[in-house]
Amino acid sequence: MTKLPICQNNFITQFIVNFRNNFSYKTFFRDIINTNAAPNYRKIPLQYQIPILLLWREKANFFNMNTVKTNLHSKTMRSTAKLIVAFGLLFCTQTMAQDAAAGEALFKNNCSSCHAVTGERVIGPGLKGITARRDLAWIVKWVNNPQAVIASGDKYAVELYNKYNQAQMTAYPGLKEADISNIIAYIDASNAAPAAPAAGAVAAAPSSGGATDSAPSALFSYILVALMVVMLLVLGVLFAILTILSKAVTGNAAATSAANGASFMDTLKANLSKVSQNPTIRTATVWLFILLAGKATLDGAFNIGISQGYAPKQPIAFSHKLHAGQYEINCNYCHTGVNRGKSAHIPSANICMNCHGAIKRESPEIQKIYASIENQQPIEWVRVHNLPDHAYFNHAQHVNVGAIECTQCHGEIEKMEVVQQRSTLTMGWCIDCHRKTEVNTKDNAYYDKLVSAHKLESKEPLKVANIGGLECSKCHY
Amino acid sequence: MKNNKILASGLLFLLSIAFTACDNHDSTGYEYAPNMYHPVGYEPLSQIDSNRINQYGMNMRLPVDGTISRRNYKTRFGSGDSAVADLMVYNINKDSLRIAERVLSNPVPNNEKTLEDGKELYVRYCWHCHGENGEGNGPVAEKYKGVPNYKSDAYKNMNDGHIFHVITHGKGRMWPHGSQVSPEERWKIVHYVHKLQQG
Repeated sequence: MTKLPICQNNFITQFIVNFRNNFSYKTFFRDIINTNAAPNYRKIPLQYQIPILLLWREKANFFNMNTVKTNLHSKTMRSTAKLIVAFGLLFCTQTMAQDAAAGEALFKNNCSSCHAVTGERVIGPGLKGITARRDLAWIVKWVNNPQAVIASGDKYAVELYNKYNQAQMTAYPGLKEADISNIIAYIDASNAAPAAPAAGAVAAAPSSGGATDSAPSALFSYILVALMVVMLLVLGVLFAILTILSKAVTGNAAATSAANGASFMDTLKANLSKVSQNPTIRTATVWLFILLAGKATLDGAFNIGISQGYAPKQPIAFSHKLHAGQYEINCNYCHTGVNRGKSAHIPSANICMNCHGAIKRESPEIQKIYASIENQQPIEWVRVHNLPDHAYFNHAQHVNVGAIECTQCHGEIEKMEVVQQRSTLTMGWCIDCHRKTEVNTKDNAYYDKLVSAHKLESKEPLKVANIGGLECSKCHY
Repeated sequence: MKNNKILASGLLFLLSIAFTACDNHDSTGYEYAPNMYHPVGYEPLSQIDSNRINQYGMNMRLPVDGTISRRNYKTRFGSGDSAVADLMVYNINKDSLRIAERVLSNPVPNNEKTLEDGKELYVRYCWHCHGENGEGNGPVAEKYKGVPNYKSDAYKNMNDGHIFHVITHGKGRMWPHGSQVSPEERWKIVHYVHKLQQG
C-alpha cells in the first residue's frame, strides 16, 4: 500500500484523498466553503496556505470546468488546475508527512494506551473529529494540565470528567502546541485513510482461519465414513465367498439361497459345539480369562491412592489455558506463596479483581466472584494435588533453591482448560527425582563443605539423594 | 469344587471391574487408608470435614483485627556507611500519592543483584501488562488497555515514592498489588522500573 500524503488539517487531508480517489472539485470546494472547515483554514501554517489560496482563487474556473467538459478553454484550465494541485501536493506531502509521522510516534508513545484514533472509546474518548469538537488552544490546555481545566469549571471539561467515571487523564506538560498539532494531523490522516482494505483483511482472516480449523475434523469424519463403507463391502464379499465355499463343500447345488444360509449356520453351530467340547481349548479359555482378569485386578490395586488424571469441576470455570497460556500471566502472580512457603496458595478474590475489577465484568463466571465478595462467602475451590498427611512437601524449597519449573510436576498447565493432576505423586516418583537431580551448588557457600566431602567418596556429581534426599525423616515426621 | 472355581473367577471378575471402572476425572479414586491420608490438625488448604467452630465451616480464618504483618521485620539494607534503616511500615493513605512522592525514598541499595531480583519480580508481577521493556505492550495490556509507556514524557521522571505507592495502592486502571508483593520486593521492582524508564 502506498503511503498516503498527510496534511496538517482535516480538509486538506480530505482533499488529497479525494484527489487520489476520483477527485471532484465540486466536493472539494463545497468542503472549503463549508462553515466547519472555515475556522480550520485560519490554523493552517503559512507555507501550506499558498497552494490553498491559489486553489481558492481559481475556484470559479474549476466549477465551470466541471460542468463544461468539452470546452477547450476549460481543458487548459484543467491542466493549470492540475499543475496548481500538484504544486500544492508537493508542499503538503513533503512537509506534512513528516508532521504526521512525528505525530504518530508521539501518539503511540503517549496516547494510544487510552485513546483510539477512531471514534471508539477505549479508556478515554475516541479522538476522531476532535478538531470539530474542540479548538486547538483548548486541547493544548487540557493535555498539559487536565486537572486545572476541570478545576477552572470549564463546562465541557467537567462534563467529560463526569462522563468517564471521574477518571482523570494523565497530564502531559511536556507536549507543546506543535506536538499536539502533529498528533491531530496523525489522527485526521488515519481517519481519512481508506479503511476498506484493512477491514476486508480483518473480515477475511477469521473466515479463512475457521476453514482451516474445521477442515481436519470434516476430513476425518469423511475418512471414517469411507472406511466404514469399505469394511461393509469386504464383509459382504467375505460372506458371499463363505456361502459359495460351503455350497461347494456340501455339494448341494440345487438348494435355495435360504437353505444355503441355514446350512452354513448349522455347520457353524456344529463346529462351535465340537470346539467347546475339546478339553484343551476349554482349559486354555478359562486360563486366558483368569490371567486377563488377574492383570486388570492388579493394575487396579496398584492405582489405589493414586489420583493421576483427577480433574474435578471447579466452582468457577477458570481456564489456565486462557490466563497462563494465551495471556502468559506468570504462575507467581496468583500463586504468591510458591516462593515463600509450603503451599503455593490459591489466590484470594482480590487478585482476580486486579483485572476483573475492570474487564469482562458481564461474564456470568466473573459475576460469581463479585457475588462471593459482596456476600463475604469464600469460593470453595476443589483441591487437585493432594499429598497424604504423612508426607511433607514444601514448595519454596523446591522452587527457590531447587529452581524446579512448575511444569515439571504439574504438567503443561498453560494448555489445560481444567487443571488435571498429571504426575502420580507417589513416593517412588519423588525418590526417582531425588536420585536423578543434581544439586545446584554453584556460587552457594552453603554446599562447599558438602561438595568437598562428597568428592572424597564419589566421582559422581552431588545429587539430592547424597544430601539426605532419601532419608525417611526428611519427608515423614 | 467346580462351583468354587466359578465363584472364584466370578469374584475376580467383579473385583477387576470395581478397580478399573473408576476412570473418572471427577473422582480421586480409592484410598487405602484415609485416616493416614487426611490431616488431623487443621490444614489451611485441605478441608475434609466442615469445621465446627470457624465461620463458613472453614479451617482458614482471617487474622484478628489490628494484626501486624511480621514480614516487614527486616530493617537494615546495605552495609558500612551506606547502610539504611527502614521499618518499611508505611501509613500513607492511598489517595496521598503526592505525599508518597515527597516522603518515600528507596532504602534498598541499587546494585546488580537488586536489579536482577527486581527484574525477576517484574517478570512475575508486572510483565504481562507493562511488557518486556515497560512500554505497556504486554499480552494482557492488549485486552486490558490503558497501560502507559514508562519511557513517555509524563512517566519517565516518576520517582521512587510514586512508583512504590502505585504498586501498593494502584492508580487509574491499575489495582493495588500490595497484597502480592512485600515492601522489600516492591522497592526492588522500583529500581528495575527506573532502569526501564531510562530505556
